[in-house]
Amino acid sequence: MRFSDFTSYDLILLAQGLGTNIALFLVTSLIGLLIGLGWALVRFYRVPVLAQIVTFLSELLKNSPVLVQLFLVFFGLPALLHIRVTPVTAATITLSANTAAFVYVIAVSAIESIEREQVEAARVFGITRWQVLRHIVTPQAAAFAVGPLVALLVNQLQVTSLISVIGVVDLTKIGHILNMRTLKPFVVWTVVGLLYYGAAKLVALLGERFENRLRAHSAWRGL
Amino acid sequence: MLKVENVRKAFSEVTVLDGVDLTIAPGEVVSILGSSGSGKSTLIRCINGLERLNAGRITVDDFDVSKPKELAEARKRSGTVFQLFNLYPHMSVLQNITLAPIEVLKTPRPEAEAIARKLLESVGLADRADAYPAQLSGGQRQRVGICRALAMQPRYLLLDEVTSALDPEMTAEVLAILAKLAAQGTTMLFVTHEIEFAREISDRIVFLDKGRLVVDLPTDRFFAADGGRAQPRVAQFLSRMRKD
Amino acid sequence: MHFDLSILLPHLGFLARGAELTAAACALSLVGSVVMGALVAIARTSASSTLRRIAFIYVDLFRNVPFIVQLFFFYYGLPELGIYIDAFTTGVVALSIAGGAYASDTIRAGILAIDQGIIDAAEVSGLSRRKIFTRIVLPIALRTSVRPLGSVLINMILTSSILSTITLNELTGSAQIVVSQTYRPFEVYVVLLCAYAALTYLVSLAVTLLHRHLNRDMMEAVG
Ligand SMILES: Nc1ncnc2c1ncn2[C@@H]1O[C@H](COP(=O)(O)OP(=O)(O)OP(=O)(O)O)[C@@H](O)[C@H]1O
Ligand SMILES: [Mg+2]
Repeated sequence: MRFSDFTSYDLILLAQGLGTNIALFLVTSLIGLLIGLGWALVRFYRVPVLAQIVTFLSELLKNSPVLVQLFLVFFGLPALLHIRVTPVTAATITLSANTAAFVYVIAVSAIESIEREQVEAARVFGITRWQVLRHIVTPQAAAFAVGPLVALLVNQLQVTSLISVIGVVDLTKIGHILNMRTLKPFVVWTVVGLLYYGAAKLVALLGERFENRLRAHSAWRGL
Repeated sequence: MLKVENVRKAFSEVTVLDGVDLTIAPGEVVSILGSSGSGKSTLIRCINGLERLNAGRITVDDFDVSKPKELAEARKRSGTVFQLFNLYPHMSVLQNITLAPIEVLKTPRPEAEAIARKLLESVGLADRADAYPAQLSGGQRQRVGICRALAMQPRYLLLDEVTSALDPEMTAEVLAILAKLAAQGTTMLFVTHEIEFAREISDRIVFLDKGRLVVDLPTDRFFAADGGRAQPRVAQFLSRMRKD
Repeated sequence: MHFDLSILLPHLGFLARGAELTAAACALSLVGSVVMGALVAIARTSASSTLRRIAFIYVDLFRNVPFIVQLFFFYYGLPELGIYIDAFTTGVVALSIAGGAYASDTIRAGILAIDQGIIDAAEVSGLSRRKIFTRIVLPIALRTSVRPLGSVLINMILTSSILSTITLNELTGSAQIVVSQTYRPFEVYVVLLCAYAALTYLVSLAVTLLHRHLNRDMMEAVG
């Protein structure tokens, strides 16, 4: 490849790269949220064995590098199971699981923040555990958890930058390509950094709006 | 000589000290009385350079506390003991006392420690040199506070209600030490609500009222009916203190 | 499908050397982060509004740009400026700067929590401003922020795996080499994942012990 200067087409490349990050971020956040909440349910109902497994798994995921998790899924799983795993699949699996681990921890501490007596008191009146969860725990826990969840999302958006290492053509990968082609690392990485920065700020802003609305809403309902 | 000349101090719009004049000669023990909010603490904080003056001048042995270059010298000559002790929580008793001598006076460590141990012995804390402030009682903490101030061998000792955070028993143990210091000829400027004690150890008593120094008399004159008490504010203050 | 950990035995020594490099990089970067964090904390409490703004921008920027982008910025960018440093040094610099953005918050909170009376006492005893900071303010702030600084360190250990992308053979980099020699990615990365989890677990234990030890003496006084 010849070294050459920037072209206007590079802007499209950058936008596509960022699009990949954002798309993956949205998909894995949604999956991670659902799985994490599922795990929290397992814990809430104190399902034997499964509850312990879930706790252990989330600790393992929280306390190991995402990069290693990516390698395990992308290189390790195919070797073990003799299946094909594309970079995008590996990235989706890994980031979803990683997000789930953090969602689980946030959900559990949110549920625990709601006094156990409230739950016990409700149970005395013959309300089922599901009704307790739906009408008593969830609204309060959601209000408690939304702040940490937004912080988590901002962080997970940044984590998507690692998928380039297993070959997904995301913004970081585009940065690499432009870096090699133009040999202008300062410009390239500054632009890439600012794009990620802007995306992170956007997520934070939307999260904050959502949080405020939720707060106003639950205050109005007089929790 | 410690000289306070026509000092005015205001916090935003509120004047807290209003033309205060006060002179303390070496060897004198002077008590500052006055009701709450009259500006006693502020006066002490102006003397040790913690507050900036709006007008007037304070000199400690001719070093002007308002001049940045002279403040360091002025501070070397005065030591302060605080109402809430303000010991360094992360340092042992010995380190609390030796920090400033080593860092400011450049006293060699062994010498600084020897001085500190001697001071601790004189206040009955010889065995607590390695304890941390949190492990001491209030009275013990304040005795360390006094040692910390004395370790700098100050010419003037400034004390701001050093017993008001202590219960009566601890108050007695700290006052006993101050009486001993007074008897040894230590120069002290002493803010207190312990009127009887002030009467015992002071050479002079001054009275602050709403930021003005309205009375400055030898101790016996201050309590005389035709002396300090002739001032209605003083009489009122003394009678209120008696009742408590 | 077969799973055989014994194939790793001959490579344990090699991996251990990688782990040493990770430990060295993290230890140096922790020191670097605390220094950066302390400087930024001072800047953020300074009287100069320019200094405060610069400090704020630093924290905001380095927290919202993915670490891998920061790392590439330094790795590819510094040589352009005529600064040639090896991958290890680049990694330590990048980790220190990123960690400093987080450390500054906890150090700042630690500083603001210090009783003003203690600083008054130090001031009237004639200590210079610098001495007051290094002997009184910083030690107290660091003691009270041992726990949050521990989290910074744990994050740093996980993040340091990204240094493998700039050819540094720390723990993750070494593991990649072992994979290329053994063709056993699953075993290698499972072990690696557990190794990181164990490492961070040990660090968090150590931090708890250190916190207790350091604050045993000042427990009451702080409260
Ligand atoms: N930093 C400050 N900012 C604003 N006002 C202050 C400040 N420090 C003191 N003041 C005000 O100055 C006045 C005098 O306070 P000062 O602490 O000197 O009184 P005091 O005579 O020591 O009272 P006490 O006997 O209660 O200790 C009070 O009205 C107080 O509210
Ligand atoms: Mg006072």
